[in-house]
Amino acid sequence: MALTTAQTGLSRARRGVAPGGSGKPAKPANRKSKLSSQTRKTFFWLLLPSVVLLVLIHGYPLAYAGVQATHNGSLIDTGEFVGLENFANVLASDAFWKAARFTLLFTIVGVFGSWLMGLGLALLLRTKIPAGGVFKVLLLLPWVVPIVVSSTAWNWLLGTPDSLIPSMFRNLGLGTPLFLADPTLAAITVMVFKVWISFPFMMMMTSAALASVDTTVYEAASMDGASRWQQFSQITLPLIARSTYISWILMTIFCVNDFPTIYLLTGGGPVDATTSLVVLAYRTVFQDFQTGPGVAIAFLMTITLVVVSVILYRQIRKSSVE
Amino acid sequence: MSAVVHAHPQSGPVLGVTGTGKPNRALSDAGLRGRWWRFALILAITAVVLVPIMVTVVLAVTPGPTSTSTGFTLENFGSVFSQTLASTWLQNSLITTLSTVVVSVAVAAPAGYVLSRGRSKAVSGYSLLLFVMQSLPIITSVVPLFILFAGMGLVDNLMGLTIIYVGSTMTVATWMMAAYFDSIPISLEEASWIDGCSVFGSFTKVVLRNSLPGVLSTAIFAFLLAWNDYLVAIVFLRSTEIFTLPMGVQSFFQQNQTDWTSVMALAVIMMLPPIIVFAALNKYFSVGGIGGSLAGR
Repeated sequence: MALTTAQTGLSRARRGVAPGGSGKPAKPANRKSKLSSQTRKTFFWLLLPSVVLLVLIHGYPLAYAGVQATHNGSLIDTGEFVGLENFANVLASDAFWKAARFTLLFTIVGVFGSWLMGLGLALLLRTKIPAGGVFKVLLLLPWVVPIVVSSTAWNWLLGTPDSLIPSMFRNLGLGTPLFLADPTLAAITVMVFKVWISFPFMMMMTSAALASVDTTVYEAASMDGASRWQQFSQITLPLIARSTYISWILMTIFCVNDFPTIYLLTGGGPVDATTSLVVLAYRTVFQDFQTGPGVAIAFLMTITLVVVSVILYRQIRKSSVE
Repeated sequence: MSAVVHAHPQSGPVLGVTGTGKPNRALSDAGLRGRWWRFALILAITAVVLVPIMVTVVLAVTPGPTSTSTGFTLENFGSVFSQTLASTWLQNSLITTLSTVVVSVAVAAPAGYVLSRGRSKAVSGYSLLLFVMQSLPIITSVVPLFILFAGMGLVDNLMGLTIIYVGSTMTVATWMMAAYFDSIPISLEEASWIDGCSVFGSFTKVVLRNSLPGVLSTAIFAFLLAWNDYLVAIVFLRSTEIFTLPMGVQSFFQQNQTDWTSVMALAVIMMLPPIIVFAALNKYFSVGGIGGSLAGR
């Protein structure tokens, strides 16, 4: 008896069905109904402003970026057509590959660091804790506070050898770590900063997913003698897998495209140790005034992201149909 | 009492009750102790995590280097407004952000309605296009837009800034609206159609009227994006009287000696609106909705 309840409960919960639900995932009402021409016309007008903006803010610049990437121009002048020379130069430069490596590392640490922290806190906050609701709100602050503000505070805390945290290390006899001046340490600091900013987002995503899990499953599992770890790895993780997957995708996009987190804390330095691809593209265009190569870098990122995001979009849709 | 609470399955998988043979008394003590341990743990984590924010607030109310007062003071706020363009920056930020919020909702709501109700190839193609566009680095479009806007006098201009913010919020905003509209049964609309209402009429009178949480959620998203942006602002804004708050805060670091107490006073002013908005409307904002809008469609 207990077993059947557990299994139906489990399969129902996996499909996201609340107790007492119909056993079918809620579907929006039938939308296959044939559209009249009047309806089509209305839809056209409703969609028009969005399409115009998409073309103006996304479509046109993307096409023009293609033109710029194949010319040796500047911000004022388009310049001469140079074919794929900019791409060849960029791909042959050490700076590009160094930035690409840093972007990859920054993204991996950013996604999984913030996910682990967010997951841990979401699980902890799900249990009965005095004043749990207060903590839940307070822990969102790093994500809500503007990055310009938090980077200022982090700079004050560890920017110079005489800042608060380096002084504390010195007083404890641990030397004076140069958090933003030592290349390796600066890279670590930027990643910790990114995790600090991003974990509340992961916490919210995970909390929302956990809230929809049917809790009777756990009761049945513990009756069958499943340990806490087994319950977590065999039930909780599979049940929130789809939401986890989506949160990884979104965070990957946030990390790859991130500019302020890095730029405001280190400016990409020291000696380019924290220069990501976006920071490199920005500096190439607006500080070195090399529009062609700078846009080529951005364009290479764009092409990669288009391919990746189309694949991921398909995957998400496939997993949500199941 | 505590035993009852803890035996309830709601207490969760990880730290919940496992054994069933234990006497109730022991369970209650263990449960209670566990609760306070977890309280101590989360208190410690929260305290460490909030250090940068507490530092900001404390410095903002600490007397500056030239001040004669000791202890708590509010004079940093006075001096930052009287000696810098802080009030202009605040005004600029408010204008841009509020316009972005209004326009993006006005653009995203009708588009989201079409995505939610229309099921043609073109509509799902548009949905894919929105997903691809939002995942692209904004730096790619910033350079061409800079050149385009320079020709139209929209560089160093708050309207130019707003247009770009609307453009970059509308992709996610459209999904958020579409996901919310999906939860509104079409039967409500069908009833109004029978009463002779047009599609547009049912959209505004039936669907929109029942979508306040969806609209607020989208508005918060647009608010946070526009209020916090730095990349677009640093590219498009040149003169200090057009700066938004992020640029204003950063301008303190161009001086040789950073006036930390003034920066922090301005930083506190800058972080208050998002915190207030979030605190007031938190219950409407489900970040899960952003993910759900991707998955559910």
